[in-house]
Amino acid sequence: MIRRFAISLAAATLAFAQMPQPQLTQSLAGVVKLNRAPVSSEVLKVKLPRAVERKLANGARLVIVESHRVPTITFRMSLPGGSLRDPAGMPGVADATATLIRMGTKTRSSKDIAETLADLGAQVVFIPGQGETGISVTALTENFDATLAVLADLLINPTFPQAELDQWKARQIATLEAAKSQPTFLATDVLSKALYGADARQFTHPTRDSLNRMTREMIVEHYQKYYVPSGELAGIAGDISPDEAAAKLNKALAAWKGGPVEHVSLPNLPPVAEKKVYFIARPGSAQTLLVLANHAIDRNSPDYLDCQVLNRILGGGPSSRLFRVVREERGYTYGISSNFSASHYLNHFSIGTSVRTEVTGPALTEILKQLADIRDRAVPADELADAKSSIVAGFVLGLEGSANVLARWLEQREYGLPEDYWDTYPQRVMAVTAESIQKAAKKYVPLDDVQIVAVGDPGIGELLKKFGPVEVPKVE
Amino acid sequence: MKRNVAFFLAFAGLLLAQQTGSRMPPLKFTDTTLDNGLRVIILEDHFAPLYALAICYKVGSRDERQGRTGFAHLFEHMMFKGSENVGAGEHFYDIFTKGGGANGNTNTDRTMYYEVLPKNQLDLGLYLEADRMRSLAITKENLDNQRQAVKEERRQGIDNQPYGPTSEKVDGLIYDNFAYQHSVIGSMADLDAATVEDVQQFFKTYYAPNNAVLALAGDVDAKDTLARVKKYFGGIPRQPAPKPVDLTEPEKPGERRGRLEDRLARVTRVEIDYRVPEITNPQTRALIVAAPILGGGESSRLYQKLVKEKETAIQVACIVDGRDGPSTLRIVAYLRPGKTSQEAEGVISEEIAKLNAEPVSEKELERVRTTIRRGIPAVRESMLNSATALAEDAALYNDPNRINLEPDQRIAVTAADIQKAAQAWLRTPNRVVMITDPPPPPPMPSRKQQD
Repeated sequence: MIRRFAISLAAATLAFAQMPQPQLTQSLAGVVKLNRAPVSSEVLKVKLPRAVERKLANGARLVIVESHRVPTITFRMSLPGGSLRDPAGMPGVADATATLIRMGTKTRSSKDIAETLADLGAQVVFIPGQGETGISVTALTENFDATLAVLADLLINPTFPQAELDQWKARQIATLEAAKSQPTFLATDVLSKALYGADARQFTHPTRDSLNRMTREMIVEHYQKYYVPSGELAGIAGDISPDEAAAKLNKALAAWKGGPVEHVSLPNLPPVAEKKVYFIARPGSAQTLLVLANHAIDRNSPDYLDCQVLNRILGGGPSSRLFRVVREERGYTYGISSNFSASHYLNHFSIGTSVRTEVTGPALTEILKQLADIRDRAVPADELADAKSSIVAGFVLGLEGSANVLARWLEQREYGLPEDYWDTYPQRVMAVTAESIQKAAKKYVPLDDVQIVAVGDPGIGELLKKFGPVEVPKVE
Repeated sequence: MKRNVAFFLAFAGLLLAQQTGSRMPPLKFTDTTLDNGLRVIILEDHFAPLYALAICYKVGSRDERQGRTGFAHLFEHMMFKGSENVGAGEHFYDIFTKGGGANGNTNTDRTMYYEVLPKNQLDLGLYLEADRMRSLAITKENLDNQRQAVKEERRQGIDNQPYGPTSEKVDGLIYDNFAYQHSVIGSMADLDAATVEDVQQFFKTYYAPNNAVLALAGDVDAKDTLARVKKYFGGIPRQPAPKPVDLTEPEKPGERRGRLEDRLARVTRVEIDYRVPEITNPQTRALIVAAPILGGGESSRLYQKLVKEKETAIQVACIVDGRDGPSTLRIVAYLRPGKTSQEAEGVISEEIAKLNAEPVSEKELERVRTTIRRGIPAVRESMLNSATALAEDAALYNDPNRINLEPDQRIAVTAADIQKAAQAWLRTPNRVVMITDPPPPPPMPSRKQQD
């Protein structure tokens, strides 16, 4: 329900440790470098396996990464039906369509569909995004044809049974109720409204009201208008050759017609100008969930790589400053991380962490201090070199699965990046300088205009006033 | 005798594999035990220029004593605070800045540490693991520091989550033996009570080469890698083998029930746990195959009945929590507002009775078999998954080849096996029912106030 809007919420399954230490030869807070472990200074030069492209009969560009290592095939495709197409005041129509398209066709009931896919050991899911809805198919090679046949049936012959819609609505209302007990759900809701309140990006889930008013006609209309081939990107990875892949897809989807549909275009938003604290009281909380955010870059920004290196230093993983200081030195949290959400539709930077209630104030102060520091002070040379090498050397880890390789090539095409983007990626990361990082930090790391969301014990409301004007939003 | 039976089963499994089984060639690996007792398993796979290293220590929360719950996991955190030649925090800093990833995790039965690194950093991973196995830096400062992180982990994972306290309460009802009765994360009071002496003793007893298995998978040469492992780990002295923990459970006289009001919850949660034998027991294997038929996804019996037909629940799932010792088959349902736990419990009990009374259909079984086959590539494609599976299977079950055999043995489970196992274990006196309720809604304003 909150999948569309990724705030980086301390993906805190980390059991790492960095020890606080006063001043050492190296300038890294929280690490004692003895430099006795044998380290290779060489960075492996690897080339991302090439993808092949074919144009499908329905206009889609199919990107193929062939690999016969294991007998499985992954297929991805997007179509225009994302949540930004929801009718005004009706968040959830795209969600409903993506779910209900699997709940009945002219020849299959929802149970038949679930059983057929289970028999095939295959997955066919529709994932509503913002501009688009993604289709994800995975199957054993031997069952791929049969799985594609199910996908085609869903795409071409859905019936959207009224009874299934009624059941789904009732389940969603209950699910929505259950989600309100989750701090991350509450914070996501508030942050999306704070940052994207001017347009449809603010809606990350259906509301009780929209569910009550949702009709079958709205879903059928959404399907007819947007579940059409529209020259979108498609990708296939695994145990299949490019020719076979194109032939099978052309055959399976021959009767799927319509489109093209114009893309949704929304402006990149500038940072919200005034500092604000949004406080959601959650009685019984043992921790305060804190999110600090503001608008930053989109995926095509020329500052993208600077921001990637900057993020690695500030809050990207257990070697980052926020982790070392807020978790290891101060012991305020189990996990903390930061992230640039940069796509066609999202352009914001965020930090997420959960801290015990008593240290809410000190934790916020420390995080803000780190934000000021990376803006005010050039990153030391050794820390910069380490951050860059972690990104460049880490490229190897993405070569393991063909689906990972495909994801890289889809990203390159989705954002119209140069053909040799991944070949020149290491050099371009290595070219990032302390100066360019500081410039990016001043531009994109929020401080005086920071938007803070806090979910926690009702008692912390008063102390939050120290950090900016407090607003108590209503969560629907 | 026992060994012969096991061999026969494995052989039958392989034969079957050629016809209807996993249809992937078995993984080949070397399996060597060093003089100091460290078992070393190496799997060569040259697909991508990287390797994964996993070390599984045979110690988990079951080894904790009363008053020290949560200690095995707290200790895991200490392993990242430095050793004789590795500074505090340097382990992670080196691995991440060389493009790698690493972590550790603890469960009831074992503690696992792992790294994934580019292949040219083979020495780095081995050195870091060896140095902390040999010479962990145990100080009060490190302990206090990590105590804090673990307490936050508990708050985040349990105290601040809806249904967080439920799992601790359930374990207390399922198990009478302290070994499995307490949670892995432990209590705040016990975490506070842990001392530096505890850490030293624990390290000496459990973090010895003869109490660990090292598995390495990836783009390496097995012979050369073994030589390096010997170089880094060979000099670490063995220790007396730790005393095995008694996991046996006393007989339970009947069904146990618990009810909890959870102020963070918004909908009622019903959990039913049936006690089943250890994960390697053939009857537990049969129930592992039965679990998805009962509650694995939209085609499952419980989903169709509880969520779709009766509209009692918004979500239901069934899994086997398989352990080295006494395990459970667990069913969890989240209810729709207005529905009662009795309704959900009634439907679940009916479905269990059906599983006892009638064999599952061949169609349902075939479905599970396909899912099992579909799951194999996920292990094979990831060096980390391969290495951790090899290390865990060798450490807990003395059988690294389980990675090859277990899928075929599950595929060979029959409807009769399932029915027999269900009749033996899925009985009402053998279960725990745990209901978690949200707080009652605030009282409606009285008429007087309305006036």
